[in-house]
Amino acid sequence: MKRALAFLLLAALPCAGGCAGMDVVSAASVAAKGVSKAVAASRPISDSEEYYVGRSVAARILATYPLVQDSRLTLYVNEVGLAVARKSARPETFHGYRFAVLDTPEPNAFACPGGIILITRGLVATCDNEDQLAAVLAHEVAHVANKDGVNSISKARWTEVLTAMGTEAARQYAGVAGNLVTLFEGSIDDVFKTIVVNGYSRSAEEAADRDAVATLTKAGYDPQALAQLLSKMMAKEKGGTGGIFKTHPPTSERLAKVKAEAGAGPPPKDEAVRSQRFQSLKI
Amino acid sequence: MAGQIRGKFVILPNITQPTFSFLPRVPIHNEILTKGGDVRPPVSFSKRAGWLLAVGLALVLIGAGAAWGQQTLKVTQANQSLYPEADFASTPLASVPVGATVRVLRQAGDWYQVDYAGTTGWMHRQAFPSAQAPSRFGGLPGLLFGGPVKETTSDEVALAGKGFTPEVEASYRQKHPELNFAQVDKVEAFRVNDAQLQAFIKEGGLKP
Repeated sequence: MKRALAFLLLAALPCAGGCAGMDVVSAASVAAKGVSKAVAASRPISDSEEYYVGRSVAARILATYPLVQDSRLTLYVNEVGLAVARKSARPETFHGYRFAVLDTPEPNAFACPGGIILITRGLVATCDNEDQLAAVLAHEVAHVANKDGVNSISKARWTEVLTAMGTEAARQYAGVAGNLVTLFEGSIDDVFKTIVVNGYSRSAEEAADRDAVATLTKAGYDPQALAQLLSKMMAKEKGGTGGIFKTHPPTSERLAKVKAEAGAGPPPKDEAVRSQRFQSLKI
Repeated sequence: MAGQIRGKFVILPNITQPTFSFLPRVPIHNEILTKGGDVRPPVSFSKRAGWLLAVGLALVLIGAGAAWGQQTLKVTQANQSLYPEADFASTPLASVPVGATVRVLRQAGDWYQVDYAGTTGWMHRQAFPSAQAPSRFGGLPGLLFGGPVKETTSDEVALAGKGFTPEVEASYRQKHPELNFAQVDKVEAFRVNDAQLQAFIKEGGLKP
């Protein structure tokens, strides 16, 4: 009996320490995994990778602009943002949507990949009512949904990322991980330049406008609110050339397309209630 | 309930893992009196304890296998995929919609090997936010069949094979201390609960 017990315990103990052969990454699977990495070499950026890129882009923007220390305003902007995000083409992201207000009078808004959307106090103040704020946020949500931020990572760089991930050399030599950090850094630069400095392509802007109008309609906001805000910004444009006027240029051609997209009709019900709660914030 | 931070996930304490108390108390005396008053040779302590231990181990092994084979989880997050390996970098086998139910075969760290509509693959815990957090060894199966995949910054191969991960972000942060990740964490920590959002939507006459 003692021998039987000893045998049983000896058989069980190695497994308690971790049966290498049964582990997720076993020595036997290394070769097979190498093949899967090669297959993965053509894949687009994953939702989790998009999320980490977005966090770093946000960290870079937040190094310049502080957050507004007004929890009531932050809550309100999050409520309006979530009300439109849930009716967008991409209602959920890897870590969900988050909205925050930057403490600067300069009017601007940034859609970080993965769902962090930053709007300045200046742009919130430019809006006349909640529907116009919803229009701005719906436009930024559309940029996230369409992955316009991550799509600005250069193809050559992404190919290099995939090569670094797939190469068998990664299993042999240290330093590849360091290279991956450099590639990550370059990707953040690509996205940052697009959303903060140069702006999206005209086609990406038009698609975001179209999607924003559709989202506003689905959410119950006034679809004409985006056109109203663009008109207001066009009037202001004469005095401004940087910021949002460069990244989201409110041209007459763009305004005409948004007006046509929204169509004509009375504003949705309870507009007065929404305007009243917007005004109560006293931005 | 206090939680522990692990990467970007809050790991909640393991509260549902059953504890096994399968070893009955063994009598201290080692003599047995028969009805006639004769002293019968005792069953030795070590022999009895040995049998009980063997039976207990067998029950644990059978129970663990049966429990994991029957557990199901419901997908509550959108944009989830079934992967051939416990790795976001692998090419997904299929998309798994919100509301789908999967049968859990085993757990390794933050990943579950599941059966979804007849296809076996891996899903990340993000698909089931309310699922039990992994223990250090990935639960009892992990204890018996091996722990979770080692993920450390020193593991260059793991880093290189997974693309942009929390570890890559950590290295980037070290390289750029001027960036404000503390504010990003603050933005992410802000949450609007569903009831609050529904009330806001209703009050504003928006579409539910």
